[in-house]
Amino acid sequence: MATAEIAVPARQTRRRIASGRFNVTPWLYLFPALATFVVWIYEPLARAFFLSFFEWNMLPTAPLRYVGVHNYTNLFQLPKLWQSLRNSAVYILGLLPIAVLLPLAIAIITHDLPARWRNLYRAMIFVPMIIAPVVAAAVWRWLLDPGHGILNLGLQGLGSKPVGFLTDPNIAIWTIIFITGWKLVGFSTLILSAANANINPSLIEAARMDGASRWEIVRDVRLPLLSATLLFLVMLTILLGAQWTFSYINILTQGGPMGSTNNIYYILWDFGFSSLSVGWSAAAAVLLFVLFGILAAALLWLMDRYSFYDN
Amino acid sequence: MTISLPQATAASPLRRRKTKRHWLANAPGHVALTLLSIICMFPVYWMLVTSLRPANETFETTLWPTSASLDNYIYALNAIPIWQMLLNTLVVSSVVTVIQLVVGLLAAYGFVRWQFRFSKLVYALVALTWLVPLQVVMIPNYLLVVRLGLLDSVVALILPHFASAFCIMLLAQSMRAFPREVLEAARMDGARSLRVLWDVVTPNLRGIIASLAILIFISTWNEYFWPLLLSRTPSNSLIQIGIQMFMTTEGTQWGPLMAASTMASLPILVFYVVLQRQVIQSFMKSGIR
Repeated sequence: MATAEIAVPARQTRRRIASGRFNVTPWLYLFPALATFVVWIYEPLARAFFLSFFEWNMLPTAPLRYVGVHNYTNLFQLPKLWQSLRNSAVYILGLLPIAVLLPLAIAIITHDLPARWRNLYRAMIFVPMIIAPVVAAAVWRWLLDPGHGILNLGLQGLGSKPVGFLTDPNIAIWTIIFITGWKLVGFSTLILSAANANINPSLIEAARMDGASRWEIVRDVRLPLLSATLLFLVMLTILLGAQWTFSYINILTQGGPMGSTNNIYYILWDFGFSSLSVGWSAAAAVLLFVLFGILAAALLWLMDRYSFYDN
Repeated sequence: MTISLPQATAASPLRRRKTKRHWLANAPGHVALTLLSIICMFPVYWMLVTSLRPANETFETTLWPTSASLDNYIYALNAIPIWQMLLNTLVVSSVVTVIQLVVGLLAAYGFVRWQFRFSKLVYALVALTWLVPLQVVMIPNYLLVVRLGLLDSVVALILPHFASAFCIMLLAQSMRAFPREVLEAARMDGARSLRVLWDVVTPNLRGIIASLAILIFISTWNEYFWPLLLSRTPSNSLIQIGIQMFMTTEGTQWGPLMAASTMASLPILVFYVVLQRQVIQSFMKSGIR
């Protein structure tokens, strides 16, 4: 099978090189996709890089003024940038327990549930994943409303003062993290449960025969076998987690109170479309892209290293 | 995916005792999952209940509405063109789903069937698009839409979604697993490559295509960022932007907001109730490789 797969194209390649003909057909097939990516991703990426050296307010009549690296140096002096970077880290670190650890714990304690029950739970915990972020934001805003939200009414019933879930600078970021996590927790649990159910039962049986305790089985057999899936979820959370928070920040707090829920994605939006400082937004975009690239490369390297565990 | 445990094998008297013990051993699992299910479902339930309360009972806290009314829906429908927005969203989501799948099939086939110079490099460039956050390219994209004169149009919401790396890569992966002999045989018969793709490859990828269609449709339906950037007038907006219109800085009209949210979610929720297993499987496929 494998040899047949490789042999056929190899023969073709040789023939093509010998005749020196350029085969245009595959490029025709790729054209619509590549054109889309060039027009909407790669050219804009280059343009963002270009714009990061200019000062401009996005008005078509206003001139672009070349300012060199001034946007970058200004950006680095801006407390708002550092605050947003710090917050981005808080978002990611805050999401990891909800999107990875909690689902891992649930996947492990529920792995012997009868299939019927598991399917029922599965159907329910998956619902947040298909709910639109805007709807999630609206509903949580209602639940958490300081005056009439059911959660605050409940807290008041218990004798507490109403909590400004979205208006208290110390709490707001955790509220956003919680809502983002709420959307993800079911999905992560299902991914981990599936990976956990895929572990060869004979490996667990063998460990049990050797006298391993329940905890030792989890630590020495299940966790290593789940490491690839865990790393995948960690990667997903780190690379996309802060990005997913965008909708909630924009709808619920607009980065406030006092910038406490800003993150790097949100200030890009804020610079670009609230203060119309294209150069700053572009410089921040380039910075974000570089940071993002480094993180992604590191994580891919890690995944590559740890994916050798196999059933 | 799931392996059911061999429980039914034990003899009956022994089995009863075993099941009881099992149930006790499973108690923490049941507790954890029941709690999680409540946390996941309650907000959705509360949205429905609030939307159905009469306008003067919005702030009631009874767990179910004492008297149901469609006041909030009527109000919401009069306040913004919800039907138009739902129609726009349906059109955008359907068109994006079809186009993204066709473009994805073509591109995946191009990568899998031919070996050509730079094919690895081009594939890597496709994969890397996944690493470019939307916010990084939003200003140039916005300017491009303005230059094309498409600001505040439904078309502008479709164009950037013509291709997705995720779709191409998943289809290419499935095509690589496709038996080469079938492709070769079809070619021997003199079938043109497009015919082979359409008549031989595509029908055999029905499962993955259905999964992708579900994923693309739901994620386009729920999309927020792109419409936020490009929509201006209510009648050209998508439903997600419409929901936002009930949340203003002066105050929020909770009843109509919940009614609009329910209307925006209902199509997807109904779809989920009907095709629950398939929807979950589709999302899981994106996570497991």
